[in-house]
Amino acid sequence: MTTRVTIDPVSRIEGHLRIDVEVDGGSVQKAWACCPMWRGIETILRGRDPREGWVFAQRICGVCTTVHAMASVRAVEDALHLEIPANAQYIRNLILIGHALHDQIVHFYHLSALDWVDITAIPKADPGRAASIADGISTWPGNSRRELETVQNKVKGVIASGQLGIFSHGYWGHPAMRLSPEMNLLLFAHYLQALEFQRKSSQVVGILGGKTPHVQNLAVGGVMNAINLNSLATMNMDRLGMLKSLLQDLVPFVEQAYFVDACLLAGSYPEWFNYGRGVTNYLAVPDLPLDARATHFDLPGGVIMSGELHSGRQIHDWHDETIRGAVAEDVTRAWYQGAGAQKPWQGKTDPAYTDFQPEGKYTWSKAPRYDGKPMQLGPLANVLVGYASGHPLTRKWTDAALERISSVQGSHVSMESLQSTMGRCVARAIRSAMLSELGVRHCQLLTENILRGDDTTYNPPEFPRHEVAGVGMHEAPRGALSHWVVIDKGVFSNYQAVVPTTWNASPRDEKGVPGPYESSLLGNPVADLEKPLEVLRTVHSFDPCMACACHMLDASGREIAQVKVL
Amino acid sequence: MSGGTSSGHSRISVAGLGNVLLGDDGFGPLVIEMFRCEYECRQDVEIIDLGTAGLDLTPYLDGRDLVLIVDAVHADEKPGTLCIYRDTDLLAGRAQLRVSAHDPGLQESLAQLKLVGQAPSELIVIGVVPACCECGNDISPTVLSTCSVAVNSIARLLMERDVDCHRRHAALEPNVWWRGFHQLGVASPRSDLQNHDEYFSKLRTRRPAGIIGE
Repeated sequence: MTTRVTIDPVSRIEGHLRIDVEVDGGSVQKAWACCPMWRGIETILRGRDPREGWVFAQRICGVCTTVHAMASVRAVEDALHLEIPANAQYIRNLILIGHALHDQIVHFYHLSALDWVDITAIPKADPGRAASIADGISTWPGNSRRELETVQNKVKGVIASGQLGIFSHGYWGHPAMRLSPEMNLLLFAHYLQALEFQRKSSQVVGILGGKTPHVQNLAVGGVMNAINLNSLATMNMDRLGMLKSLLQDLVPFVEQAYFVDACLLAGSYPEWFNYGRGVTNYLAVPDLPLDARATHFDLPGGVIMSGELHSGRQIHDWHDETIRGAVAEDVTRAWYQGAGAQKPWQGKTDPAYTDFQPEGKYTWSKAPRYDGKPMQLGPLANVLVGYASGHPLTRKWTDAALERISSVQGSHVSMESLQSTMGRCVARAIRSAMLSELGVRHCQLLTENILRGDDTTYNPPEFPRHEVAGVGMHEAPRGALSHWVVIDKGVFSNYQAVVPTTWNASPRDEKGVPGPYESSLLGNPVADLEKPLEVLRTVHSFDPCMACACHMLDASGREIAQVKVL
Repeated sequence: MSGGTSSGHSRISVAGLGNVLLGDDGFGPLVIEMFRCEYECRQDVEIIDLGTAGLDLTPYLDGRDLVLIVDAVHADEKPGTLCIYRDTDLLAGRAQLRVSAHDPGLQESLAQLKLVGQAPSELIVIGVVPACCECGNDISPTVLSTCSVAVNSIARLLMERDVDCHRRHAALEPNVWWRGFHQLGVASPRSDLQNHDEYFSKLRTRRPAGIIGE
């Protein structure tokens, strides 16, 4: 018998993601991803001054503010062929690194860890044993027996009080929860410690951006940070020193807590390397430019088709003609007028709502395609593309992760295994370790450039009267983000944001080919139809912005899973 | 600059939550900006528009003595009704905040901070029941008319706690850049809203090109 399970985590209000799966024989046979909310940013930006587009764009999403601001200014600069000073590149890079580390730490510990970590098992743990497990694999100072005892007592207190609060909606005691009490304790201790590093990484963004959330320092043409080593009010050695120490403080937590935990988790749930493969075409764009003209980057970009790393193609810079020509958005199964695919510069956003029709239109998300094919985006794409191109930093951390996971699991884990639900979680930790190193490096690059006497941060834009088009790319925490703009007579005449979650949550296209979320769920196990934890594990591995995190966070106590028998 | 850098130095935060592009969901940021322009507070009061930060709220609540949150809330009341909640209401699930995207956040951030002993000593939510939270709409007249009440409520709550806060002799000009794109004046204003319409009719984007803030 086929059973339809709808997971609509924010059904009490409008939300961002609803997943419908048909389950038969304990595994998913069909899946639909539906974005029940329409983002009308395109409509809002048409006719506006391109110099202020980023201010609106960073309000598209409250969690990913910075990334949209960045893609927006880059899009306008691209249309104008406007270079930005090297200082501006480094300052933007540091903001992007601070934001990404913040985002990825929060994702691992606060949004997805409780899919794997059972808080109710923590009282049974032996803190001494947990400390000695940690001692063999990590140099993190927050793993002492005393620290772990304190955390355990807090959890015992919460459980005894009967007020699990936000934690009362976790799938505790689910048969798919399999960590030892000691590992549950260790990971939950880091869940709490992560709050401090969440704050530190957002301070990096605040110092440079003037304010978080919603940075204020960007401009088309560079950044508005004044640099003067002799002034107290501007970017000076004191400010640079603060940045450096914040970035250095993040390194041990990311490398010795987050990275180690992700490997520990992966080695403890080896079967999750077998699920969630889904779409095996990957796209990542280069980011962290190292020069004013953006010809060299610290994070490589590229395309991998059919999971074949050896035949991958590198994207060397943002001028890559192939990607500019290959991206199109299909609206056949989305609530927009018409069918077929359109290039973003010609893209239209004319709504045609029909209600959820699994065989017809069923989502507000368009279906972005690359040469007509669905692509998977995110840290995994980042890692695979970097690994395939021989990028040393990617190789260093990926090899370290595979070695650690293999040792926990007691058998060899290959590169191939990373194309999976667990692989996406591990890749995010690999990317975080890379970024924590790069944060310190870019702070150094900025300081050195300033000490060489360069204090420029801005090149003023000039707008032609004729029509120009541009695309701004950014490899965001959830994957390759691109804003596509057309500017005519100095105002936007078209604006299309092709966001990573749209690629990953994309519906079927004209040919009926499903998107990454949908494909990744096929064959996914579901042990208990009332508690589809395994479905959430796979969906959460993509880090779908905030939406699907709500399953454990619904404070109103309403049911989130509706089970319909077909 | 009205905002802070989440450096943790402020002991008191007055924070607006909501998406300024989604009609009445922009209530929090608008009230915060009006409050900043009409009242002056002592230096350790951080007045900040936090947008729809979700779980990223945690650093802004961490270790504060007092946090006042202004937000849209989901309640069985008429649109435009102001509701006040305390942190205990949030943790007990009596208040459903955020009627728009990225709904969770405040409750979760608060609960996490309680576990590590860093929760604000006092947290109060001043919420409004929205009429419409659709993309591209301006704030509705009903909700707009409650903004002044909310602004004065913030001041009263601060004064009751002996926080130095007084009305400015001359109000500053609010920077509500996001309202520029709404077609102000299309909806017929009710007579009790005239002051507000006059208030906002003066507002235009007054930023020099490419520079935001002050």
